[in-house]
Amino acid sequence: MKPWIVRAALVTLAIVASLGCAKRETPVLHVYTWADYIKPEVVQRFERENRCRVVIDTYDSNEAMYAKLKAGATGYDLLTPSSYQVQVLEKQGMLQPLDHSRLPNLVNVDRDYLAIAIDSGMVHSVPYMLTNTGVGYLRSKVGELEPTWAVFDRSDLKGRMTMLNDMRETIGAALKSLGYSLNSTDSLQLEQAKDVVLRWKRNLAKFENEQYKGGLASGEFVVVHGYNGDLMQARAENPDIAFFAPREGLSLSCDDLVIPKDAKQVELAHRFIDFLHDPEVAAENSVAIQYLCPNSASYDRLPADFMNDPALRLAPEVRARSEVIRDLGSDLVKYTRIWDVIKATP
Amino acid sequence: MRRSRAPMWLAGAVLAFLWLPIAVLVAHSFNASRFGGQWTGFTLVWYERLFTAADVWRALANTLVVAFGSTAIATVLGTTAALALDRYRSRLQDVHHLLVHAPLVVPEILLGISLLLFFVALRLPLGMTTLVAAHVTFCVSYVTLVVLGRLQDFDWTLLDAAQDLGADGWTAARRVLLPLLAPGIAAGALLAFTLSVDDFVITFFVSGPGTTTLPLRIYSMIKHGSPPIINALSTLLLALTVTTVWFSQRLLKEAR
Repeated sequence: MKPWIVRAALVTLAIVASLGCAKRETPVLHVYTWADYIKPEVVQRFERENRCRVVIDTYDSNEAMYAKLKAGATGYDLLTPSSYQVQVLEKQGMLQPLDHSRLPNLVNVDRDYLAIAIDSGMVHSVPYMLTNTGVGYLRSKVGELEPTWAVFDRSDLKGRMTMLNDMRETIGAALKSLGYSLNSTDSLQLEQAKDVVLRWKRNLAKFENEQYKGGLASGEFVVVHGYNGDLMQARAENPDIAFFAPREGLSLSCDDLVIPKDAKQVELAHRFIDFLHDPEVAAENSVAIQYLCPNSASYDRLPADFMNDPALRLAPEVRARSEVIRDLGSDLVKYTRIWDVIKATP
Repeated sequence: MRRSRAPMWLAGAVLAFLWLPIAVLVAHSFNASRFGGQWTGFTLVWYERLFTAADVWRALANTLVVAFGSTAIATVLGTTAALALDRYRSRLQDVHHLLVHAPLVVPEILLGISLLLFFVALRLPLGMTTLVAAHVTFCVSYVTLVVLGRLQDFDWTLLDAAQDLGADGWTAARRVLLPLLAPGIAAGALLAFTLSVDDFVITFFVSGPGTTTLPLRIYSMIKHGSPPIINALSTLLLALTVTTVWFSQRLLKEAR
């Protein structure tokens, strides 16, 4: 045999052997989450403190992740799906109940948020990061705006505004503007909401989910309905962009920490959840990934500009009027029907 | 008679169509704007971030391990399959032919889900093994078809001649058959490698904990994170490929 083949074989053997050893010695926690969703330094600290390795895999949509797990994929110890997906996973019996005795830091979780959360008792899930859907606008073009959904009634901005191409978000905004719940299933309320969206539609350039960020940053649009994360990215680029949270209330969404039924490192997963709700860690993580971890004890550790940013933290009275979009089951068809009419009306 | 200029224009248009997007990508890797809609200034910040993004490098390493592994296996299996298909005609080979074509026409998502269900039924833990096995499944068909094409104008009497001159079966295969097939095998291997590096749908379903590949990572980054880092990474990979090709061509020239 040629000497280089021997050498290559030896090196391969050594690598395989060392991998094998490493596996036996240190426990590995497998986290399945969105890209760039936990600060790497925080993860390293957890690895040091718990003498373990954390391996992070990423998915790009709740639905794809669910399809994969449903088909039988295993090996993940911790997931971060959005609340509505947690509801589905839970209904299918794919999650473990959490052992609160191993999670002392749960006392830090924001009670105000829990009051409106789907899993208020944190039976299966612990909230990880909060996002909301508000309005972004260009200060130099429209001045300071009153924080209200009625901005979409401004016919002087006709053709320069967009709303999300998402029926729950946009019909939800209309319901909120009328003072109703955005999870309403009352036909009369929904009928009124339809008329509001139709009225707004006359002033909109389009319903749009992706290009509105770039469109606002470049000045093509002046007022957009969008996700706070997207709008903050756009704002980082164009400081002229401002964000407001409509005072009538808006939709909140949360990604939750959950442990799947077949997790192998249940103990370690609990420790990781608890670690992420350590006030120090939660604050560091929030600043790094630019979302708010609903952890009350971490709030006074956050820099003032972060806490005063309406895109990140809602004023208590607005927060009280806001809601989480819930899975409506068979009533969803009422929304679909209205949305079809809205989309079909020129 | 004057020659028509049309072929030149057409070639130019095709080249532009192929290369302009890449040029735009390279330019955007230096663009300060996160969205790439407009030019907001020159920056190296994405490269800086890239070098500290351990997850991206791990994903790249996974991708390369899978690509090299599945290409190696698929090339051997595909070549032997092509030889069998070319040499023998029987009912069994007709079925074989059908099986080779199946992964080309079956929608990827179907292949992905069924492979996942299969692995789950076998109680195989998802990971590198299942990922390589799945990639071999679709790569093998491409290698087979490319090698089969090469075999179509292969003169089998050459092998008989070699054996007449005293070569045993193995020597004849090694000294006559393989060198003549080499371009086909190499082309098939390159195709398999590219497909493996590219694949998203099947990979998504059969990858396991710790084996996120680059395409999976990129898709997730588009939703959450900074896509421009990927522009920077692509530019570096492109530079690496171009240098390698240039270098190997130079070596070939010198050898001649």
